[in-house]
Amino acid sequence: MLAQAQAEPSLELAVKATYLYKLAAFVNWPAQAFAAPNAPLTICVQGADPFGPLLDQATNGQAVAGHPVAVRRLARLDVGSGCQIAFVAGGAAQSQAEALSAVAGSPVLTVTDGGRGATVKGIVHLLLAAGKVRFSIDAAQADRNGVGISSKLLALAVTVKR
Amino acid sequence: MTWRDPAVADRRLADRRLINVAWGSAVALLAIGALLAARAEIEHRSQAARAAEVQADILAASVSAALSFDDRAAMHEYLNALQVNKAVAAVAVYNVSGQPVVVFHRGAASSPPARAPAVGSHFSERHVSVTRPVAERGQRLGTVYLETQPESWASTLARHSGLAVLTVLAFLLLGVVSAAASQLGARARLLSEANARLLEEMAARGKAEEALRQSQKMEALGQLTGGIAHDFNNLLQVVHGAFELIRRKPDDTAKVAAWSENGIAAAERGASLTRQLLAFSRSQKLELRPFVVADLIADMHDLLVRTLGPDIVLSVSLDEVRATVRSDRTQLELAVLNLAINARDAMPNGGRLTISTAIRTIGPGDPVLDPGAYVDLSVADTGEGMSPEVAERAFDPFFTTKGVGQGTGLGLSQVYGVARQAGGIARIASQPGVGTVVSLLLRHLTVDPEAIEVIAAPAPIIAGEGGGTVLVVDDEAAVRTLACEALELLGYHVLEADSAAKALDMLDAVCPDLMLFDYAMPLMNGAELARVARLRCPGVPIVFASGYADTEQVEAAVGGEATILRKPFNMDALARTVANLLRGAGGPGSPSGG
Repeated sequence: MLAQAQAEPSLELAVKATYLYKLAAFVNWPAQAFAAPNAPLTICVQGADPFGPLLDQATNGQAVAGHPVAVRRLARLDVGSGCQIAFVAGGAAQSQAEALSAVAGSPVLTVTDGGRGATVKGIVHLLLAAGKVRFSIDAAQADRNGVGISSKLLALAVTVKR
Repeated sequence: MTWRDPAVADRRLADRRLINVAWGSAVALLAIGALLAARAEIEHRSQAARAAEVQADILAASVSAALSFDDRAAMHEYLNALQVNKAVAAVAVYNVSGQPVVVFHRGAASSPPARAPAVGSHFSERHVSVTRPVAERGQRLGTVYLETQPESWASTLARHSGLAVLTVLAFLLLGVVSAAASQLGARARLLSEANARLLEEMAARGKAEEALRQSQKMEALGQLTGGIAHDFNNLLQVVHGAFELIRRKPDDTAKVAAWSENGIAAAERGASLTRQLLAFSRSQKLELRPFVVADLIADMHDLLVRTLGPDIVLSVSLDEVRATVRSDRTQLELAVLNLAINARDAMPNGGRLTISTAIRTIGPGDPVLDPGAYVDLSVADTGEGMSPEVAERAFDPFFTTKGVGQGTGLGLSQVYGVARQAGGIARIASQPGVGTVVSLLLRHLTVDPEAIEVIAAPAPIIAGEGGGTVLVVDDEAAVRTLACEALELLGYHVLEADSAAKALDMLDAVCPDLMLFDYAMPLMNGAELARVARLRCPGVPIVFASGYADTEQVEAAVGGEATILRKPFNMDALARTVANLLRGAGGPGSPSGG
């Protein structure tokens, strides 16, 4: 029972970890978001990291549009962190809201997880629907950050905030 | 019938070439059709594949996000959108590991593969299956598979209708050509049959023409014999009548003499008729001698008057220079008589017959006659005349407008012959209703007429000079008796035999001074008898009496020394011949026609 209960969230986390890098294929960053055309695409985990090795396994050896995928974990998120995708979990050093506002207006795709009791929402807000990991998208926030979201991705979103 | 005509052979060759060309065209048409169909098929397949690829690509692009985030509901929506297209038989989306995520298929027949197939297009059994990758930003997300419905036969047929039309056309062409070829063959057969029929008909016509000629010959012969019989009948009537009168009143010497004259004249006319026939059959040797034409006409005056009858007036207009011609006097007499008879027949209601002689000079340029002086002996009547068609044929032998038994058709032919033999020609001018003029243009001869009289004078009758024995052999009693009596009258001693056998018996007993043999006798003819008789009595002269037309045949049979007395002969001729031979002065081949 316990093993099952533990196994389920671990599968959910694995899916979410995969989603983090899969999102990259449907997002357009402005050219200045990368230092070089072959600079790595950095996925940052801010605050309490729920994934552990799952994310590293999921992104191992992956590349998106010529950018190798890299993972960084940091307590505080800011403009100079060099993240293209930021999973905002919140922690003692920096709350979720603080982290989001820290990168507001920067080309960073912020991701929050509704399943983990997030109080604020990033551009992509993961959630569970009918036992599946889904997401809603805040297109207005994406616009503000200067990040383009593919219509294909928008089409899959449970809700889209304009 | 075989084809020998090179033109026909050429035509057949051309026909065959035409047929071959048509066959070649049909085959070429088919080949082109097949080629076009193959090209169309390839085109169609690539087009179908492209269309399917495009659809698969659209699907791949559409489902990339849904596949990426495992949103099956969204994927189903995309698949459902594709299902609207009836041409799509099956669709499947595979994840990056090749496992099917969503699958759709219209029937059991077309289920997508359990594992994602290799990317590419495949065309089989009239349907296309396409496998395309799903990728986003170079990231391979999975695979989509799309299979189209098999194309319906109707659609395939419609697509290949061009070829079908070509094929139909080609076979139509072949059919037409074959029909034409067989028609040509049939026509050639018909032609050859027609040819064979034509040949048969030609042969039949040849036979018919032969038969017609034969019948025409028979008709001509009938005409001739009828005419001769008629003429002879008339003459025999006169002779018969004369003898009848003489038998009734033999004592009236003056009348007997007159009747005898009539009979003799009739018999002479009969002889003339025979000569005419012989002249026609060309066995009569013409006796061309100079004589004065005017004298001849004058001598014939009484005969002409008698012939013409009381209704026709005879007027004679003769030249005064006593123009001379070289001709057979008897023949010319006959010609004039023939013309007079024709004129009389042309004037059944009476009229005028004018006989004239004149000298005419023919200049150069005449189509027939040489330039020079000619005696124009013309006989003109005021009769019914004749049409140009009849006039044109008037001189043809056997041509006559008279009925059978009324003329031989030889009259004018004889006239023409006489004129030609006298170095001239006969010409006819006639106008229907006005009359006919026949002109005999005879070459004028410049000879002293007095000298001619001497030449033409008959030798005196030599009767019974010295006497002698004559053997007369003839199977016809009447002729034999006549000859015997004539010879006895002339003072000869006469032996007679009615056959060659009897004659030979007599020759065993005694050799006569002269032998007179009839040529035509049964069992042994005169010539055969003569050969034996010469052995029994060598050196005794033999005279052959021949009524036969073929003088040459007699001469060939009896040899060149033969003396031939042509029947009918008169007493003078017999007397002269016998006397000459007995005197030893008679040369061979000196018959006399009297």
